[in-house]
Amino acid sequence: MMLSPYDFNEAFNQRRDHAEEGLRQGSPVAGLSLDLGVLLITVRRTQRKVYEVYDRMMLSAVGNQSDIEAVRIGAVDVAHREGYQRSPDDVTAQRLVGFSLSPVLKELFRDQWRSPAVVRALFAEMGKLPADDAFFALNYDGEFVRSSRCAAVAGTPQAEARMVEELATVSTDASLGDAVRAGLLAWAGAWRAVTADPGGRGQASEAPAGPDAALGTLAEQLKDGRVEVGLLDRASRRESRFRRLGEDDLAEVVAPLRRGSGE
Amino acid sequence: MRGESTDLHSAIAGPDPVLALPVHPGLGAGAPEASHGQVAHGTTVIAVKCVDGVINVGDRRATASYSVMYDQAEKVLALDDFTLLAISGSYARSIEVVRYLRHAFRYFERSQLQPMSLDGKLSEVARAVAAGLPMAMQGLGGFIPILSTWDPSAGEPRIFFYDAMGARFESAEYGAAGSGSVQIRGAFEYVVRTKSPFRQMPRADALREALRLLDIAADLDAATGGWAKVLPLARVITAEGIQDVGEAELRAAVAGLAQGEATFVADRG
Repeated sequence: MMLSPYDFNEAFNQRRDHAEEGLRQGSPVAGLSLDLGVLLITVRRTQRKVYEVYDRMMLSAVGNQSDIEAVRIGAVDVAHREGYQRSPDDVTAQRLVGFSLSPVLKELFRDQWRSPAVVRALFAEMGKLPADDAFFALNYDGEFVRSSRCAAVAGTPQAEARMVEELATVSTDASLGDAVRAGLLAWAGAWRAVTADPGGRGQASEAPAGPDAALGTLAEQLKDGRVEVGLLDRASRRESRFRRLGEDDLAEVVAPLRRGSGE
Repeated sequence: MRGESTDLHSAIAGPDPVLALPVHPGLGAGAPEASHGQVAHGTTVIAVKCVDGVINVGDRRATASYSVMYDQAEKVLALDDFTLLAISGSYARSIEVVRYLRHAFRYFERSQLQPMSLDGKLSEVARAVAAGLPMAMQGLGGFIPILSTWDPSAGEPRIFFYDAMGARFESAEYGAAGSGSVQIRGAFEYVVRTKSPFRQMPRADALREALRLLDIAADLDAATGGWAKVLPLARVITAEGIQDVGEAELRAAVAGLAQGEATFVADRG
């Protein structure tokens, strides 16, 4: 069978639509780099959502659980092989995403005989100095974007942009509680943006924005969702800086939000 | 050692094993004897229980044949937040094994999303000891560890020691390894039978007894360092995790021993 340039383009678009369709319902993830450390903040339903990758690196993602798991274990494998054979200092998100993950996802996306991975992953890395913190958002087609102060992955690009805009207002000296609260409100804003735009074509009906609307959405979604936070703790003296915080650890922040209260 | 395999996962991770401890085949028959003199060895390490947990002490001397190669050697090394490995024998092999074990424990926890069991960790250590046997037979690369840990399910400290082939034994009171440990073996029994079981001693008393035993080992074994110049290394594991015994506490304990001021009351408790 001969493939014309049109078919080629069409095939790509179909694969892109297939992946985007699978990502749309994913619970967004907010990333923040602060004085106290690096945070990934999300709301999960059944599956665990934030994972430790290496001593100073963690991961969360939207997408199919099996694809997320393949990327996660692959990343853990590569990081540990490198960390043992050379040094933990040589394990960086830049190398891991740029050289080990991105080319494989790109190849998979271009391969017409295999289905593309449905995954959009957010890697967070804590540097030796706060200025060296980094986020890498890795897409199903192998494209990745580096950012430093904050980052987000969500079901649509519009929702992501909205989250990043909100997260950028969080001060770097924010407390853990304030940061988690801001992250969750950004999460709710993104969730509203995704659900108001069911076709995912950027034709959002004008959803009322603002903190009140976000608080309402958050209280609604927390009825069967649970808050999950990954922390890379800058103050810790352990080599492994990762801590996973659940609602028990964050009760003071989460309880009012469950009631839909801003206080 | 690796996790589940899928198409995408194996494409990312590649075919090589994630973690593989190198096994040195040894130099074979006819290896020059002189090379033995170049290999650094660690010597006496001691683990004793106390009321709060378990204390590890080690001298700081690394020897190569009749030379002192290094007087700042660290022989009590953390494998994770609640586990210490006190090492004796080939320094190179010990350090490599400790690096391997640290990665293996963390790799297991991160890939499997649950911590490795105590039994699993003990088996990993046993395999690492046994893998060094060919070199140990040539007097080159053997190492023998003592593993101390806090067992959260039992709510108590545990001490395990190994033989050169990797057999594992649990000790209720104490463990010692290295060339100086042979000379002081009976002294441990003497302390337990005449003073008090280590596990019933307050931390300060158990630390003092462990340091005194290390001092005896230094007196009776040429390869074990004393503390005239460099303080020994001491670490404690409690329910809260691992802490270094601070320099002040260590200096006070050592000074007390040196001046013969250690006043242990035999009928305590």
